[in-house]
Amino acid sequence: MRMGMAGLLLLSLGSVAAAQDVALKGGTVLTITRGIVDNGTVLIQKGKITAVGKDVVIPAGVPVIDVTGRFIMPGLIDSHTHIAMDMSDINEATDPVTPQIWMKDIVVSDHDTIRTTLAGGVTTVKTMHGSANVIGGVNVVLKLKYGRLPEELIVSDGRPQLKMALGENPKRLHGDKGRSPSTRGGTAWVARKAFSEAREYKAKWDEYEKARASGKKEVKPPARDLRWETLKRVLEKKMTIDCHIYRADEIEWFLAFCREFDIVPMQISHCVDGYKVADLLARSGVTFGGWSDWWGFKEEAYDGNPFGFSILDEAGVNIAINSDSADEGRYLFLNAAKVQKYNDLSDDAVLRMITINPAKSLELDQRIGSLEVGKDGDVAVFDRHPLDSTCKCIMTIIEGEVFFDLAREGVSAPAQGGRQ
Amino acid sequence: MKTAAAILLVLSAVPVFTQEAILIRNGTIVPVVGAPIPGGDLLIEKGKISAIGTGLAAPAAAMVLDASGQYVYPGMVAPLTALGLINPPGSDSDINEKGLSVPQIDPYDALNPEDDSIEVARIDGVTTALTAAGTGSLINGKAVVIHLDGNLATEMILKRNVLLVFNTTARQANSYPSTLPGVLQFLREKLSKAREYGAKGESGKNRERDAEMEALQPVLNRKMPVLFQCGDEVSIRLALTLINEFSLRGIIASASADVLKYAEALAQKGIPVIWSGTTALPRRWEAVDLNYHVAAVLAEKGVLFCFNESRGQGSRGVRRQPVPAAISVAYGLSEEEALRALTINPARILGIDHLVGSLEKGKTADVVVCSKPLLQLSAKIRAVIIRGRLIPLTSIQTRLRDKYLMIVRERLRRRESQGLDSRR
Repeated sequence: MRMGMAGLLLLSLGSVAAAQDVALKGGTVLTITRGIVDNGTVLIQKGKITAVGKDVVIPAGVPVIDVTGRFIMPGLIDSHTHIAMDMSDINEATDPVTPQIWMKDIVVSDHDTIRTTLAGGVTTVKTMHGSANVIGGVNVVLKLKYGRLPEELIVSDGRPQLKMALGENPKRLHGDKGRSPSTRGGTAWVARKAFSEAREYKAKWDEYEKARASGKKEVKPPARDLRWETLKRVLEKKMTIDCHIYRADEIEWFLAFCREFDIVPMQISHCVDGYKVADLLARSGVTFGGWSDWWGFKEEAYDGNPFGFSILDEAGVNIAINSDSADEGRYLFLNAAKVQKYNDLSDDAVLRMITINPAKSLELDQRIGSLEVGKDGDVAVFDRHPLDSTCKCIMTIIEGEVFFDLAREGVSAPAQGGRQ
Repeated sequence: MKTAAAILLVLSAVPVFTQEAILIRNGTIVPVVGAPIPGGDLLIEKGKISAIGTGLAAPAAAMVLDASGQYVYPGMVAPLTALGLINPPGSDSDINEKGLSVPQIDPYDALNPEDDSIEVARIDGVTTALTAAGTGSLINGKAVVIHLDGNLATEMILKRNVLLVFNTTARQANSYPSTLPGVLQFLREKLSKAREYGAKGESGKNRERDAEMEALQPVLNRKMPVLFQCGDEVSIRLALTLINEFSLRGIIASASADVLKYAEALAQKGIPVIWSGTTALPRRWEAVDLNYHVAAVLAEKGVLFCFNESRGQGSRGVRRQPVPAAISVAYGLSEEEALRALTINPARILGIDHLVGSLEKGKTADVVVCSKPLLQLSAKIRAVIIRGRLIPLTSIQTRLRDKYLMIVRERLRRRESQGLDSRR
């Protein structure tokens, strides 16, 4: 655990060093939070947005990218993916309780999924432990700085999120091996047992810290347990939870469980039945993380429903469209358009689902998710409006640096040998 | 369109029937063969399209749908699905019968009109689909083309015995054939044996009936095409080898950009392609947008192709058909060609283009009315007509929405009436 903390400190230093200057001039700017600026300019200096507007004075020496006729929006955010690591490493499925696993330890910063996801205008993702375990590992938030050192990708200023999973996956994967959980009841027990033990662990450490603070030198520290060390942080609300749940009954159970242990549910992922309990989601403040139109690929996914977004919206839920896969992560904007097919929701409402809403779910909405002065210079450039389904992403910029340029990397680019 | 919406609401409560006549008035008619007709009318009588033009008069009994500001298309044709065989979860699906070679299996025998996936696909504009018995084995069963409407299997059938599905990637895990050359040998031996079997029959000699060998005869005498489920380059080459050796009427289905390596040969030999790779991830060494361009290149080279976005035959994602079409347009395919690749092209590939796939006088009245061009994924489907019947725009999903919208609103209301903040 100490190692982990030291690592995190180093990483934030790394990301500051990569900052750069650039101005995008002449495009339609979709700020997300502050309306649309026609023929506008976004100025980025030292990696941060320093101006957004019509009459922005671009300081001498700042490189200018002419985006006349193009559409500029904040870099897209995906609050549930498994990219940037080997798929064989995302599930430590040997035990249903593995909070000692940290996804930041296995980031592959030149993984091909980063290259392909960047090409869809995505700049920030939360890459997650899989759903094999009731309590999986700690997820990691990445800026998709393809090819840089892993520590330059890792974002460490939101609270980390612990992955949990209920429903079919943990009970099948562990139940088939003849151990708990093999039922939903077993899953509830496994979760409760783990957090109860962690609570006792925390109490011992609290007692020890208190004794130390009061000057007692002879007290011996309790034994370290890296599993309970993570859950202790959850109990201290220094870490939150992203739980994989399909069914409405389990959503209700999980929210009650979080109240029972006074822990923070930040996102419910694969939230297929979320629309059935939209009021509960809204009241708890948890983010809905889900897909636009997946359904029926297994029993607990059978009620997946693209028409459910309007219920979630009406109840006031923070909605994030997730990819959960390397391929869908390349066209989150098409999934936003699809949500409009099934629901009477505004352009603004659905674009938020792939920008500021997932930013909130990452607790990074002060830093990313919209084009505002002071925020990170993370920008996606489209040739048409991103909700026009015949648009394409032509450039992706992270903290002022171009990380994807279709003109350089597309099939037609000279470096690619021209179109076949 | 307000009229139409009102009529639709009434319709969802009445039993199945076919309207005598429907006049769709004043929409942008996109026949997909020939130019769009702005402000056009389309008349449907007795299940067929009886007139397309402007200023058509409504027959006395006709229901009139005002399509002002809307777009009117032929229903989409999904070229490779398992609609009607995908059972609800908890029961096993009826896809992929066991055995390396099962050409005698006919999906007609298991077709389930109650499959929820059918309604879900049709209210998004898919009106016709090929349902294949399987794609996972070396020699799979037959396929049927169905209308996505009907309460009995017999009512759904448009055509039976449409094709056989071979799979040139079906290496076996621990038994023969476990390599691609083995796959080729296996298929070659089966076809050779079937040819001998057929020759015996022709010479009039007494023979013991063999269902498997019988089922292979129509592909050897070119009465039925073979759909080759392929993957990368080598498996495509194996398919072309067999098509050539046995003079088969072949169709190539693939999600690999390697089809481009054979585009000229495919165009020249008239071998069509069912392309399902637009949204597949590129390989590590390929340009990020390579797969997005494949459809445009196929069109450019003159290959007859259609889209298939089913993502695995048992997938319930048939409604996603427009997704690859929209992406392909962004990367160079013309909108006209993209629309054809969702409608008339799959109909041609399946040999049903004289019946469905375009808006033409005399064709089956399979019509979709949208709020925006179909290639806009935000386009709302305003009306779906199959064989002249106005389809209720309902599915398991609209029913769940209606149910839970009431339940959630009721809970919110209750909380408010208790003086509690409904949102906290």
